[in-house]
Amino acid sequence: MNPDVHRLLRLKRYEHPTPDYFESFFDEFQERQRAELLRQPTWKLLLERVFNAFPEFHVPRLAYAGVGVAAVVLSTFIMVSQEDETTAGASLALNDPRPTVNVLPAGQGDIRLPSSSRSEFPPHYVLEARPVSYESPYSF
Amino acid sequence: MTEAPEEQEINDVDLVAQTQAGDPRAFDQLVRKYSPRLYGLVYHMTSNHEDTNDLLQDIFAKAYRSIRGFKGKSSFYTWLHTIATNMTINFLKKRSRTYNMSLDDVDNGIQHDPDFIEMTSGSDARREVDLKELQQRLNEAMMKLSKEHRAVVTMFDIQGMPHAEIGKILGISEGTVRSRLFYAHRQLQNYLQEFLAN
Repeated sequence: MNPDVHRLLRLKRYEHPTPDYFESFFDEFQERQRAELLRQPTWKLLLERVFNAFPEFHVPRLAYAGVGVAAVVLSTFIMVSQEDETTAGASLALNDPRPTVNVLPAGQGDIRLPSSSRSEFPPHYVLEARPVSYESPYSF
Repeated sequence: MTEAPEEQEINDVDLVAQTQAGDPRAFDQLVRKYSPRLYGLVYHMTSNHEDTNDLLQDIFAKAYRSIRGFKGKSSFYTWLHTIATNMTINFLKKRSRTYNMSLDDVDNGIQHDPDFIEMTSGSDARREVDLKELQQRLNEAMMKLSKEHRAVVTMFDIQGMPHAEIGKILGISEGTVRSRLFYAHRQLQNYLQEFLAN
C-alpha cells in the first residue's frame, strides 16, 4: 500500500450530496416501493398475504418436487394396472371354453344349444380381441 | 457517536426479521441507516450523482425483494454491500465509454483535514492546489482504474473498511484484496504524481 496515495484518496470522503438529499431519496424510494406493490398481480399479493398470515408455514421447495414425482408414479401405476386388467379380461374371454347359453322361455322358438367346440362356433361377441362389454361407449 | 458493532448487529437482525415478517417500516429504517454509506460506495465508483441516485434506488428495491432469501449467514451489512457492489460493477460494464462526471460538492471540513493542510501548506508546488481541480483529478484517476480495482480502493481508502470485510463483500481472499490495492495504488501514483510528496 502506498501511504501517500492512501492519504490523498481519503480526501474524497469530503464529497457529499446536498444535506436534504437523503430525505428526498427516502421519499422517492417509498413512492417507488408503493408503485411497485400496485403493479404486482393480484394472485401474488394474495399469496404474499397468506404467507404473512402463516409465517411458520414454510413448505420446503423440494417437497413440491416430491409430491410431483409421487403423483406421476401413482398415476403411471394406476394406468398400468388398468391396462393389465383389460388384457386379462380379454384373454379370459378368449380362453373361456364355456359356451354361452341363451335360455329362452318355453314356446319362443327353437332352443339350440351351442356346441362346446370353439372351432364350430367362434365367439361372435368378441370384437378385435376385446369383449364387447369392455368397449367404451362413444356417447356420453 | 458511532454505534457499537454488536448493538448495530442486533438491531439489524431485528429489523431484518421484522421485514421478513412483512413489516415494510422495518426496512425503511434499514434504508435510512445504510443509504449514506451505500451512496458513498456507489458514488465513488461511478463519479456521477444521478447514476448513483438511480442505482441506489435499484439496490434497495432489489434488497427488499430478496430479503426473504437472506438467511443471516453473513451480516446484513455485508449482504447489502455485496448487492450494491455487484449491481454497480454490472452498471459500469454497460455504461458507455463517453459519460460525464457529475460530482458532489466538497465539504468545507476538508480545509481542517490534516492531510489536506499538509498538502497545501508545503513550500512546494502542491501549495497552489485548487480544491476543484484536486477533486476533478482524483475522480479522473479513479475512473482510469478497472471496476474491480476501483471497488477495492473505494472500500479501503475512502470508506476505511478492513481487508477482511472487503474480501467477504467481493467474495475474494484478503490476499487478493491486498494485491488489487497494491496494483491500484501503483497505477494511481502515476496519475496523481503532481499531488504527491516527492
